Amino acid sequence: MKNTADVIIIGSGIIGCASAYYLAKKGVSVIVLEADDSIGNGGSSRNGGGVRQSGRDPRELPLAMWGISHIWPTLSDELGTDVEYTQKGNLRLGKTEKDLKVLQNLTDHAVACGLDVRMINGKEVREINPYLSDEVTGASWCPTDGHANPLTTTLGYFKKARELGAHFITGEPVLKIKKEKGSARLAVTPDGVFEGDRILAAAGYETRLLTSKLGADVPMRGKKIECLVTEAEPPMFQQMLGTAEADFYGHQTKHGSFIFGGSTGLELFGQPDGGGAPMSTSIGAACTCRGIMKYFPALSNAKIIRTWAGWTDPSADGIPVIGQADGVHGLYIACGFTGHGFGIGPAAAYSIAEMMTGGKAPVDMSPFRCTRFKAKI
Amino acid sequence: MIRANDRSADIGPFIAADDDDVIICRCEEVTKGEIRKAVHSGMYTLAEVRRYLRCGMGLCQGQTCGRLVKGIIAHELGAKPSQLEPATGRAPMRPTEMRILGSEKR
Amino acid sequence: MKRYDLIIVGAGPAGLSAAAEASKRGMSVAVFDENAKPGGQLFKQIHKFFGSKKHKAKMRGYRIGEQLLSEVKGIADVELNSPVIGIYPGREVVVRQGDGIVHYCADSIIVATGASENAVPFEGWTLPGVMGAGAAQTMMNLHGVKPGENILMLGSGNVGLVVAFQLLQAGCNVKALVDAAPRIGGYGVHAAKIARCGVPFYLSHTVAKAEGTSCVTGAVIKRVDEHFRPIAGTEKHFDVDTICLAVGLSPMSQLLMMAGCDMEDNPKRGGQVPVCGEYGETSAPGIFAAGDVSGIEEASSAMIEGRMAGICAAAYLGFCTESEKWTALCPLKDDLNDLRQGMFAPKSHGKSLETTDEGILLSGTLLKKGHITSEEAERFPGVVHEAGVHPVIECTQNIPCNPCQDVCPKHCIRVGSNITALPEVDKSANCIGCGMCVASCPGQAIFLLNENCAPGFATVTLPYEFLPLPQKGRKGKALDRAGKPVCSAEVVGVKASPAFDHTAILTIKVPSEMAMDARFFKEEGA
Repeated sequence: MKNTADVIIIGSGIIGCASAYYLAKKGVSVIVLEADDSIGNGGSSRNGGGVRQSGRDPRELPLAMWGISHIWPTLSDELGTDVEYTQKGNLRLGKTEKDLKVLQNLTDHAVACGLDVRMINGKEVREINPYLSDEVTGASWCPTDGHANPLTTTLGYFKKARELGAHFITGEPVLKIKKEKGSARLAVTPDGVFEGDRILAAAGYETRLLTSKLGADVPMRGKKIECLVTEAEPPMFQQMLGTAEADFYGHQTKHGSFIFGGSTGLELFGQPDGGGAPMSTSIGAACTCRGIMKYFPALSNAKIIRTWAGWTDPSADGIPVIGQADGVHGLYIACGFTGHGFGIGPAAAYSIAEMMTGGKAPVDMSPFRCTRFKAKI
Repeated sequence: MIRANDRSADIGPFIAADDDDVIICRCEEVTKGEIRKAVHSGMYTLAEVRRYLRCGMGLCQGQTCGRLVKGIIAHELGAKPSQLEPATGRAPMRPTEMRILGSEKR
Repeated sequence: MKRYDLIIVGAGPAGLSAAAEASKRGMSVAVFDENAKPGGQLFKQIHKFFGSKKHKAKMRGYRIGEQLLSEVKGIADVELNSPVIGIYPGREVVVRQGDGIVHYCADSIIVATGASENAVPFEGWTLPGVMGAGAAQTMMNLHGVKPGENILMLGSGNVGLVVAFQLLQAGCNVKALVDAAPRIGGYGVHAAKIARCGVPFYLSHTVAKAEGTSCVTGAVIKRVDEHFRPIAGTEKHFDVDTICLAVGLSPMSQLLMMAGCDMEDNPKRGGQVPVCGEYGETSAPGIFAAGDVSGIEEASSAMIEGRMAGICAAAYLGFCTESEKWTALCPLKDDLNDLRQGMFAPKSHGKSLETTDEGILLSGTLLKKGHITSEEAERFPGVVHEAGVHPVIECTQNIPCNPCQDVCPKHCIRVGSNITALPEVDKSANCIGCGMCVASCPGQAIFLLNENCAPGFATVTLPYEFLPLPQKGRKGKALDRAGKPVCSAEVVGVKASPAFDHTAILTIKVPSEMAMDARFFKEEGA
């Protein structure tokens, strides 16, 4: 088995797979090491599929906007896989005065960054989505937002990168990254050592365990969240949905099923899992269902066929770390996407591929530097 | 478990077969040929094939086709079905309406 | 949250048996089942079970179900229409009940969820009319609905054979029984019951196609080579509206996986099963598995496994002492061991045996065509010839079963202490022709012969489980073991008795030379 390449990527989520693709496309040789038996088995296969700009931190908004104008619209053709990208807008729903204030604040920030997003009233909301209950009194509306299928997107990038010669190895957990002659070059696994001129660590929360040992710590934690999916229903609406209260988010897929995520408020205090796949809790899906039905009474008879959980990697300031690990030659980091990494994943991967090959990222990446975390006083 | 972990390993070319049109997953209408092609595109695990094609992701959650899909993947990889990891068991074990799942009693 | 000492998932043979043992030892027990009726698959088992008295042999499955239900009545909560939708950490069991979900907590859990039927894909297999043999059995035996008129059965294991016979009983026309294997997989006696009704066996054949556009209108089968590859040009067409699949079962073990038990794909146990100890202990403390979910066997073994798991759960939580546990387990272990003996035992799977344990050459015709020949019959110890009425036992494979030995009031039949031994007829004992052996044999393999009842004539007494029952004096044809009419016959006796438990005893008069050939009766005009 080949164990040297120009770039070693640790993690085969959307970042790992998409970076492998963009690097391979440039003729860079790549080995991707995945700890799990399956490609993209972490958050990339477990998220709600939002491809949003609205509601984002202004620091990551330019990257999100670039991805939506430059990557997503043509991604299915580019990868030869239907990623089910649907650009029919995002409604972030509010029911109370407090909600509307939250939404107004988010909207003001996004407009300042040049995003087409605006506040609309309850009547306008129901013109866009007639299934919403009268409890909804307003929303922020961003017509250029949308959603896609995270499963086929991640695997589509994998498939295309593999076709271009990127070498993927699953069941190969990296135990440590080793420096050689002052540069991070070696990825050590139980069965071997993989060597590259540059190493990209893109393994979600686990990234921290690898990079911190080289003095490049990313303050973040693991947080388990849960999702559910219904059986296929007749087509009802195409927007991506979220709420000011964050009680649920989701969309109807091209296939007809509804994918929703939600939160119980107890996520940070869950029992530790046994170490295997993240387990859904006995109360998560029930809580999400109640949240959804308040907004969509019409869905109360939709059958839930599956629930699951996944780990997110919230960073201390809520946006990711993307780029060179300042001070550690050869090491690049992409993690801390904080539960909203799918939509900006392709753009982040494109950017990091540029940064790793001496090119220029399409937007200013300085907000994502890993040295930005400072004590408050 | 199977060490079909090198996704660039040569498993031979995809060769079309007479029964490629036979439906394997009847909930999601996925054919044998689609599953075989997915394996040759690099999807070596049941989880990946499910995610890529939706087979076993419908109403019955793979109770009917899980065994068949596993057999097809194993055959393409030249492995035994028992060497492949099964799909994860997930709640609810039976499809459950939102209004019922959302109505909790203790 | 409502708490129990033990929650059992599944009210089938294993679950109810576990409930009985655990409740008896003072545990608070709840049994959840998704169905509207308890008993799992027991209540559709209208045939008589094999085994010995302690395995409730010669009782029909639904009666065993009734007994089990009465055993747990009042001491365990059996909650129906209650699918368990998940098992979560801390042994939290979430159940769908009424219009909501209920959270329960248990100190121990026994998962006894059983199995589901395997499918086999071929062109048209998703058409209405292709169904599991078990599903067909549910339709006719629980709901009183004929699954179809003209049926093709795929699979010659016990499920395929038993259901094919029940389809005949329900008045369906079973056109053929097909199996890709070169030999019949189930008990020879089950095969013989349908062979003598005239059902042809197509071994080394598989279904190539279900015909039809909106439902099954026909089937095409094809011969296969020794590697199970179809051979072109060997197609054979059948006009059928139903294709039943009896191609094995898969454990429904997803709940155990969700509960965090170590799992394995074990082909010998039928697929994905928990890694279990001898008494169903999984790797998760306090969680046990019993019945088909931990390895495909039969209802009889599931009941014993359930009892064992119930006893172990009780000991795990201190409801009985270790020594009490072992005292209770020992006889059950023996019972289970008995059932796992013989030619069809799990340990014999895949072996191609040539002779019986007694060293008698097995019937090749039985394995190929579903019946023995009258020449082959002569080499077995149950087949004797003597003056007057006497039993002829066409039981030629070593299977764990011995009711014939127990029911004969005159001790004419001997199996011995080894439950899988072939029954022998003791010529020194005096058969009174009561018919108890004929009615009790779960394989319907015992006949009473009077080879010279009148000059040139013999009587053959045979088990008969079809309606309408032919009346005494009616004439018709005697059929041989392959279902072929061989001579004229007259019904000279019809006996039905509560002791026979719905198996009628028909005595037909045939020419003497047909005594060893006539094994079934078809009334004129029927």
